[in-house]
Amino acid sequence: MIYAGCDLGMISAKVAILQNSDILAFEVLRYQSHPKQAAVDVMDKALAKVGLSREQINRCLSTGFGKDAVSYADGTVPPLVCVHRAIRKLNPNIRTVMDVGGHSFRAFNIDDSGKVAELAVTDTCAVGTGMFLDIIANALEAPVEELSRAALSSDNPIPISNTCVIFAESEVISSVNAGRDRLDIFAGVASAVAAKIVGHLARIDLIEEVAMIGGVAKNSIVVRDLEEKWGLRLANLGVDPQVIGALGAALIAKDETESASQ
Amino acid sequence: MIVAGCDVGALTAKAVVLKDDAILGSEVIQSRASAGQSAVDVMDKLLKRLELTHSDIDYCVGTGYGRYIVPFADANVSEISCHGRGAHWLVPTIRTIIDVGGQDFKAIRVNDKGSVEDFSMNDKCAAGTGRSLEIMARSLGVDISQLGPLSLEASNPVALSKPCCVMTEIEIRHLVFEGKSNADIAAGISDLTARSIVFLVRTVGIEKDIGMTGGVAKHAGIVKSLERLLETTFVQFPVDPQIIGAIGAAVFAADKTRKLRRLV
Repeated sequence: MIYAGCDLGMISAKVAILQNSDILAFEVLRYQSHPKQAAVDVMDKALAKVGLSREQINRCLSTGFGKDAVSYADGTVPPLVCVHRAIRKLNPNIRTVMDVGGHSFRAFNIDDSGKVAELAVTDTCAVGTGMFLDIIANALEAPVEELSRAALSSDNPIPISNTCVIFAESEVISSVNAGRDRLDIFAGVASAVAAKIVGHLARIDLIEEVAMIGGVAKNSIVVRDLEEKWGLRLANLGVDPQVIGALGAALIAKDETESASQ
Repeated sequence: MIVAGCDVGALTAKAVVLKDDAILGSEVIQSRASAGQSAVDVMDKLLKRLELTHSDIDYCVGTGYGRYIVPFADANVSEISCHGRGAHWLVPTIRTIIDVGGQDFKAIRVNDKGSVEDFSMNDKCAAGTGRSLEIMARSLGVDISQLGPLSLEASNPVALSKPCCVMTEIEIRHLVFEGKSNADIAAGISDLTARSIVFLVRTVGIEKDIGMTGGVAKHAGIVKSLERLLETTFVQFPVDPQIIGAIGAAVFAADKTRKLRRLV
């Protein structure tokens, strides 16, 4: 049986394809302004990788900000449910999950019985999200992945004084005009995002093991700051942290199919 | 007696010249990269039009975020005092001024003399500012000046859920995609902005009459939303609301000139 999950976020569309319980393929696609098309493209790309067609999928569920815009999905699941399902499969010892995506911060605790305990969600302000890094990278005229890699070697990060993304963008442009180094600027901004994440995390319990997922978990400066500066120990999940939601959606598609056939 | 006020803001620079307590002329330009250059450009443009030179000006007060670097100013006064003073000079019954500019907004309460009694300011978050409107207008694909007129044509305004314009940008794209009209989305943007502003206005207490200054006061949709939320009608200023800070600066300059003349 083939199951699929599509997580349509604000910046990227993500897909996971399962054959029974085994992961066949993952795919991540950044998009500009057409979420519906992005959902189609990312699925086609993932299917092409493993030589499957859409008709061969037994069940597909969608999740994320744009879950209702995934035209081929058989149903939708809330993001938290998907993330919880995938984390339980990948590492049952995880007790704290922080999901830092393009437009939201979500953190929750999982108790010993496997249920979601404390939960904190921030989705009204772009501070401490992937969108912050994206907007600053755009102002610095370089892809965010490239800046994150290159800025890791900066030994002189420039602290940013504005909290608001919009004001920070103006501040960054002023810094560039004043001749400051772009990598030092980006390193300062990424450190500010890490500090903000720590602030958000204070709203739940920090119990080990801790997993960080979402696109920002791939930002090496943010991760370095969280581990070295703020003392967090982040568990290795063994898969791309950005596709956890999509994986959860595919797993739930499998669960639903199996329980329906029983 | 000829005096001047120069208000250098984040997005625009404004200059006003008063002659014997009457407005001789005013000018608004887009801010340049340097605040000092913005001040020079806007004042030169105005003086040229009025056929005056700097030596004709008895006293000049600078205000706005760039007030410390207005090269020709004799003194500077905070924009909070200037907006209060300028609005009161134009409409003496005014007690609360809502000033919404490019990068911040303020609620200012003044007494019967036009002196500031209390104020509250937002400069931490762009929600409710002109910059935020600019970003949302861009994601709708219209010019910021069209947002006001469009809002007034709305039949079924959309409800936008997040105060942050970065978040709203994507929400707007989805609404466009769903086929919502530009007018309904523009009205949603006006409401969202007005809600951010009202939150601050309530913290200083609302005393009538109320007036709105700054560039965003030219946005008819937001004015309408604010009037509805505050259950009031704003006073009408007889001038462009964007130049009221500069008028206040010029009124302070006139006070100063009178004081100096008494001393001589």
